[in-house]
Amino acid sequence: MKLRKIMGLLCAVSAAFILMAGTTALANAEDNSVIVTMPTTSEPASGFDPAYGWGAGEHVHEPLIQSTLVRTTTDLSIENDLATEYSCSGDGLTWTVKIRDDVKFTDGEPLTAEDVAFTYNNCRDNSSVNDFTMLKEAVAVDDTTVEFHMNTPYSIWPYTMAIVGIVPEHAYDENYGWNPIGSGRYIMKQWDQGQQVIFEANPDYYGEAPKIQKVTVLFMEEDAALAAAMAGQADVAHTAAAYSEMNIEGYDLLRVETVDNRGINLPCIEPQEIDGVAYGNALTCDVNVRRAINLAIDREEMITNVLNGYGTAAYSVCDKMPWYNEEAVTEYDLDEAKRLMEEAGWTEGADGIREKDGVRAELTLMFSNGDSVRQALAEDTANQLRELGIDVKTEGVGWDTAYTRAQSDALVWGWGAHTPMELYNIYHTTDSGLAELSPYANEAVDSYMDEALQAGDLEEAYELWKKAQWDGETGITQNGDIPWIWLCNIDHLYFVRDGLTVADQKIHPHGHGWSIVNNVDEWEWE
Amino acid sequence: MKLNQRQKARVLLVFSVLFLAGVAVAGVLCHDAAMVTDFSRKNLTPCLTYPFGTDWLGRDMLYRTLTGLSMSILIGVCAACVSAVMALLLGIAAAVFGKKVDAVISFVIDGIMGIPHILLLILISYACGKGLKGVIIGVALTHWTSLARLIRAEVMQLRQSEYILIAEKLGQSKWKIAVKHMLPHLLPQFLVGLVLMFPHAILHESSITFLGFGLSSEQPAIGVILSESMTYLIMGKWWLALFPGIMLVLTVVLFDLGGNALRSLLDPNSVHA
Repeated sequence: MKLRKIMGLLCAVSAAFILMAGTTALANAEDNSVIVTMPTTSEPASGFDPAYGWGAGEHVHEPLIQSTLVRTTTDLSIENDLATEYSCSGDGLTWTVKIRDDVKFTDGEPLTAEDVAFTYNNCRDNSSVNDFTMLKEAVAVDDTTVEFHMNTPYSIWPYTMAIVGIVPEHAYDENYGWNPIGSGRYIMKQWDQGQQVIFEANPDYYGEAPKIQKVTVLFMEEDAALAAAMAGQADVAHTAAAYSEMNIEGYDLLRVETVDNRGINLPCIEPQEIDGVAYGNALTCDVNVRRAINLAIDREEMITNVLNGYGTAAYSVCDKMPWYNEEAVTEYDLDEAKRLMEEAGWTEGADGIREKDGVRAELTLMFSNGDSVRQALAEDTANQLRELGIDVKTEGVGWDTAYTRAQSDALVWGWGAHTPMELYNIYHTTDSGLAELSPYANEAVDSYMDEALQAGDLEEAYELWKKAQWDGETGITQNGDIPWIWLCNIDHLYFVRDGLTVADQKIHPHGHGWSIVNNVDEWEWE
Repeated sequence: MKLNQRQKARVLLVFSVLFLAGVAVAGVLCHDAAMVTDFSRKNLTPCLTYPFGTDWLGRDMLYRTLTGLSMSILIGVCAACVSAVMALLLGIAAAVFGKKVDAVISFVIDGIMGIPHILLLILISYACGKGLKGVIIGVALTHWTSLARLIRAEVMQLRQSEYILIAEKLGQSKWKIAVKHMLPHLLPQFLVGLVLMFPHAILHESSITFLGFGLSSEQPAIGVILSESMTYLIMGKWWLALFPGIMLVLTVVLFDLGGNALRSLLDPNSVHA
């Protein structure tokens, strides 16, 4: 991995030198093709199969090759794509979706309700990335009607329908991910694993014809992407805040707002051992400490320091989403934070670090090794909390140990998805009686989220999701239990070649990869 | 004043020892300062206040380099000592305790030497959970082979020498012969071998940390510093790699020169050279 990175850098640097030597290697000759770079982690490891993570899973985006029943709009509400209408029965257990009758797969076969039912049943049985346990069975009633029978009501089903690409039943086997056939805007022409994927516009697409005929995606690290842009070899090159000061001739920096947030978990229970694993933390089990920490984080300063200003303050895992409760906003107030600590009995010791009943106010804050942004956020958080009198030690860890250790220590996480299920995954308790990722439990929060899943329609569900965050008395925000502290949303940055108009983006979710090309069909060259 | 070779060697040895000890001590002293992050001074080019510049977290690269080198030196010395003791014991055992023991130990030596060094290091370090422990065990377990082989050959030769044969005839025990008659003879070889193992150990420690299998990334280790600097080289932040790199090379070279100087001082054949 590292070696590949080094080789990539060497190649890229030499490419940059060649350019400086006076060669003008301009990649883009035709006006209807683009070359886009993405991080190497964006390359789908299991191929372009929706059941194994293409478009779904941790990094949500439109599947391009396949089409979905519905899709999310720029304000993250739902609009029809393949579907012409959909409805849910009163008990929430049956979703009925009518689909278009004029859609063909790129091999000429028509797309019918049978294919839709096959896709969902296949995902239910095999999906390695998404939870489909709420789906009992998908049934094709006739050619254009499909019914989803649910095990439990699931009001946010449309958000699932927005990410599952429909695959053809007649052309689906274990190698589908490497030879995907779909009905989407693009056809996958060529995939050189570890290097690039080339897409060409689908001439028979049922919607508006794509303006960009050919999309080439190159997988490389940020430093190599920068070198590629400097050498003029990419039209859109992903980049990081650290590189944002670079001026590349012929390119402009594009900044896309995101819900790609970073936050830290604070274990909410007393230290204890469960099944040989340490749970809980003596400092952060005190709710006043957690509130004080939330108040003592100066998010604006952090964004300036770490992200060169390319970010927005985050107060929840779902800022700007339709289910976001604005009560989460907490202004920086160090004095109030200190007052809270004093009130809770944490008094300053000789070295400026607070103590209570012989417990020193210290915390280990972990970040994933090699992620410079998370490391910088951890360091800045440590600096800011030192002013509050908390001694924070940072530590780089690998993901092999991070999940277990997060049960008793704080960890810098990255989240942000186009579905409220993320709230559920972070705050809802599991069978153990505690939330899965960081020990926390609140019955009221649980029951609001359970109700939200059983709600009759999305609007009603949004309200319940908001109440799960803060209902006026309890919740997960500053005045509630505040089990997680959210720091910032990281803008996704790209160097875009002059003359290329990148269409308006929806708020990007976590993941700096495929989201940018969600609407590549609408991009235009001057 | 014109110095002869022995005097030159002595000066070189003293200089190397002073420099390396200085770096090791300075690094330990500024360990805390090396961990300080201050975003108000990030990405500064080298200046009088920060002779080695600062990085993207506003850490002072001079302190980081010193601390990193001192960690490397301490890890290297520690691992090399363990390794050398292993080499000494196994080398003597191979030569003294008969054919079967010799066959087993020689086989192990050949086996370990047959596997590429860095690969074995990575495997051992990873298996031991990386970090300080993993690196020390990894370096210690991989570096003893060539010295062990040298000592074995030396002991083999010694066994045929007359004073040892006489000692045997006089009925002294194998153990006594090994400790009393052979060890003093081996000591100079051993010390030189030990010192010359340091640069290897240091380079290997920084290599596996550079590759991400050693110390974790918040540590000011020289491998971490160099691997981080890769990302910023393309932006023209040359000082992040240049000074730590030069210092690493200097350290390794001085260990090597110092070791060779020590050898010529200890070697009776060079007294009149």
